[in-house]
Amino acid sequence: MKNTIISALALAVVFTACKKDKTISTPADPNAFKVSVSGKIVSVKNLPADTIVGLVGGQPVGVGKYAFFNLRSNSWVANTDSASANWDLAFSGSTIRINAGTSGPGTGGAFVWVGSFDNLASVPADSVFKTDNYPAYAITKGSGKGWYSYDGATNLLNPIPGRVLVIKTADGKYAKVEILNYYRGGVTPSASATDEVKTSEQRYYTFRYTFQSNGTTSF
Amino acid sequence: MKPTVILFITAFFTGSSVLGQEKRIYRPEDTTRAKELNEVVVTATRTERKLANVAVPVRVIDQRTIQQAGSLRLRDILQEQAGLYMTNGFGAGVQMQGLNPDYTLIMVDGEPLVGRTAGVLDLNRVAVGNIRKIEIVKGPSSSLYGSEAMAGVINVITDNSFKKRLNTSLRYGFGNPDEGWAFPGSRKSFDNIDLSLQGSTRIHKLGIQFFSDANYLDGVSFRPFSTERVPQPIWRLTNQLQLNYLISQRTKASFSLRHAYDHIKQEFAVSNNGVVTSSYGREANKDLNSNGVLVHQFSDKVKTTLRLYATAYNGSQVLKFKEIPDSVYDDEFRQHFYRAEDQTDISWEKATLTLGAGYAIDQVNSTRYDDVNSRKQNTIGFGFAQYEWNPVEKFTVIAGIRYDDNKLFAAAVSPKLALRYTVSKKLSLKASAGRGFKAPDFRQLYLNFTNNAAGGYSVFGSIDAVKIIDELNRRGQIAEIKEDYSKLKQLAPEYSTGLNAGGTYTPVEQLSINVNFFRNDIENLIDAREVAVRSNGTQIFSYINVKNAYTEGAELELQWQWNKCFRVNGGYQFLYTADKTDLKKIRSKSVFTRDENGYSRLLERREYSGLPNRSRHMLNLKLCYDDQSFFATFRAIYRGKWVVSDADGNGVYNSHDEFANGFVLFNFSAGRQFKNGVRLQAGMDNVLNYRDVNNLPNLPGRMCWIGAQFKLIP
Repeated sequence: MKNTIISALALAVVFTACKKDKTISTPADPNAFKVSVSGKIVSVKNLPADTIVGLVGGQPVGVGKYAFFNLRSNSWVANTDSASANWDLAFSGSTIRINAGTSGPGTGGAFVWVGSFDNLASVPADSVFKTDNYPAYAITKGSGKGWYSYDGATNLLNPIPGRVLVIKTADGKYAKVEILNYYRGGVTPSASATDEVKTSEQRYYTFRYTFQSNGTTSF
Repeated sequence: MKPTVILFITAFFTGSSVLGQEKRIYRPEDTTRAKELNEVVVTATRTERKLANVAVPVRVIDQRTIQQAGSLRLRDILQEQAGLYMTNGFGAGVQMQGLNPDYTLIMVDGEPLVGRTAGVLDLNRVAVGNIRKIEIVKGPSSSLYGSEAMAGVINVITDNSFKKRLNTSLRYGFGNPDEGWAFPGSRKSFDNIDLSLQGSTRIHKLGIQFFSDANYLDGVSFRPFSTERVPQPIWRLTNQLQLNYLISQRTKASFSLRHAYDHIKQEFAVSNNGVVTSSYGREANKDLNSNGVLVHQFSDKVKTTLRLYATAYNGSQVLKFKEIPDSVYDDEFRQHFYRAEDQTDISWEKATLTLGAGYAIDQVNSTRYDDVNSRKQNTIGFGFAQYEWNPVEKFTVIAGIRYDDNKLFAAAVSPKLALRYTVSKKLSLKASAGRGFKAPDFRQLYLNFTNNAAGGYSVFGSIDAVKIIDELNRRGQIAEIKEDYSKLKQLAPEYSTGLNAGGTYTPVEQLSINVNFFRNDIENLIDAREVAVRSNGTQIFSYINVKNAYTEGAELELQWQWNKCFRVNGGYQFLYTADKTDLKKIRSKSVFTRDENGYSRLLERREYSGLPNRSRHMLNLKLCYDDQSFFATFRAIYRGKWVVSDADGNGVYNSHDEFANGFVLFNFSAGRQFKNGVRLQAGMDNVLNYRDVNNLPNLPGRMCWIGAQFKLIP
């Protein structure tokens, strides 16, 4: 219990540190949270999504908080804003919520498109956007069903290549998101890494996205 | 201890050069190759045929090879054969022509061993001390043997010479994986002790033979900071009695009883995210085989063989947990297999017709099914026919077919056609096509397993799955029925269609080059699929015939008798495999991987790696010196890299996934055969101390051994 509290505090410190000033961490640190923009593409590294703080009944757990992200302002949003339309995606473990339905007050939506990020030039006309309807999510949970695949033999989770999350933001605009990695530093541990490494390094999202601010469906 | 061992080893070398050896005249027919071609094999056609005349790919491992390599278990000697790979999970299984261990039939004296775990028959269960030879037939052979003979057949033939003799042999091995150089008694060293006794005699018309073997392999700890010993300390006992009675000139009866027992002391700790569960207990496996054969020669032309076989396998595991005092894990698996069959061979001058029919009962009780007391049973009625035609000496045609009628699942028809043509003294060609099948096993039909330790998912065998899911649904405990649920039906056997073609080229008497190209198309592979989800979110799996795959490649073997004493054997296998569903997905451009930036891009066909745990290249090399007195062998086994996990998460094994490193093992042995029957031997396995804790957990480090065999009666 004590460890949990300490870890939670540590997390909170990291959280605030990052929020206050992203430039605190030197660019050389591959494990730091970082947002960089290159043309239309925004890259996010190491967004901690309720990282593991301890064990409950042998199962690794986080503190149960989401990391909220705003695709419009390219920023990590404080948890105090969770009930607002100030976020588009929320990450906790392997769950990704959108700001709509049972998850938030926004008018968001999402679906998973199969193909490469670059090849998705616009939202297909026949697209059906789903909203979160707890316990179901627009971005389906489960290995091989939504954005990730989990290998029970190696205990590793990887985003499935060729899956693009097509997102309707909280204010009804469009974005396309590709999850690149689920581990700290954007590198999946080796299959032979210890459970301790696999546990402590997980739940750090690295992803890239393109947001269309003018409200049209083309990227 | 160290100087003693070195002295002992040097004694062999100096002994041979100083004392010299009996001079013998060298004749070409003495070459191993010549002997081998005259060797009579039975497994390929179920009739006695000279190896040189057999139309399907067959390899024979003789007693001398087994003895000189110092092999103790079937696994030890098979791993040195080209194109065979010993797998690691659930004991040592054999991968033949790229097919899983499930698809190779393992027989002792023509009768199958039962008791597979997850499809694997542990080859360590078979002691090789009393084996006359091992015959390996590659390619589907269900036309003669029925189920399991999809990739091929391995038939272990025990010595049945009934010569008057009483021999004992002992072998002591020791190793130390951590320190590399291992000497007995040093810290963390492990021992391997093997003691065997065999004797035979013929009293009047009765031949009697027995074999007893006891083997102890100490546990070894490879993983640092672990209390787990891998392999765990294991005792293996084998006893076999064979009787042979000549009722008349035309009638012979034989009976064989074999009992094998393994006892594994288990003590291990599993650390799951820092929570340690220490288990202790034992695993015990018992194997009992009884085999009666009556052979009657009606005339020069007609011979009939009646075989009655009964076997029981009993595997059990009992574990207690230190942290949970009153909890016991008790797992039991009992299989009984009974078979009666008759085979009649009718021979003419240029043809042989073989007709056979029989009936078999296969029964299993297991705690892994709904109720350990409920016996699951399949009955099989079968008939087979084979016609072998030699219109001219040079040419052989074999056509065969077998029909297996199963009570529990669809019937199987297995045809085979094989051709052999001797082009010249130097070149002979062979080609064969056949179909093999494997019956769904009881696990796939009846498993009733819920893994509470891993989140509560369930696996139900195909026979009960629909019933159980419908009942859960009626009670409102099913949240979702999956698409694969509709595919649940009576399981069909898995099929393979195999083609083998090749030839043997013998440019000079001393050199022989053998090539075989193969392709196996496997249909109807059974796979566990998610069929429903419970209201609490846990998944339900069952078995469906869904997958299609192929394996193809080439085997090259080379034998070179350099002079009377020195011989080189080499083998190479090149292998391509694919899951046809994967190929379809890749062709339809729906499989992606990641580039160096981690961005998705389409996976190309050439990046596809095929089925996991297969190596594209495997190589064996054996150098052998044998002057009938002194002998030495040096064997190298190379296995190329193989894919172990889907690191890029696309569900398809490809060049961006995680591979295990290729490796080479060097084994060395040397010994002396004295005229009084004493044989002294020493050797070293895994000379380079190669280890890979993650991918080859059962490969011990370097092990040195010394052995001796004595004749107890002259």
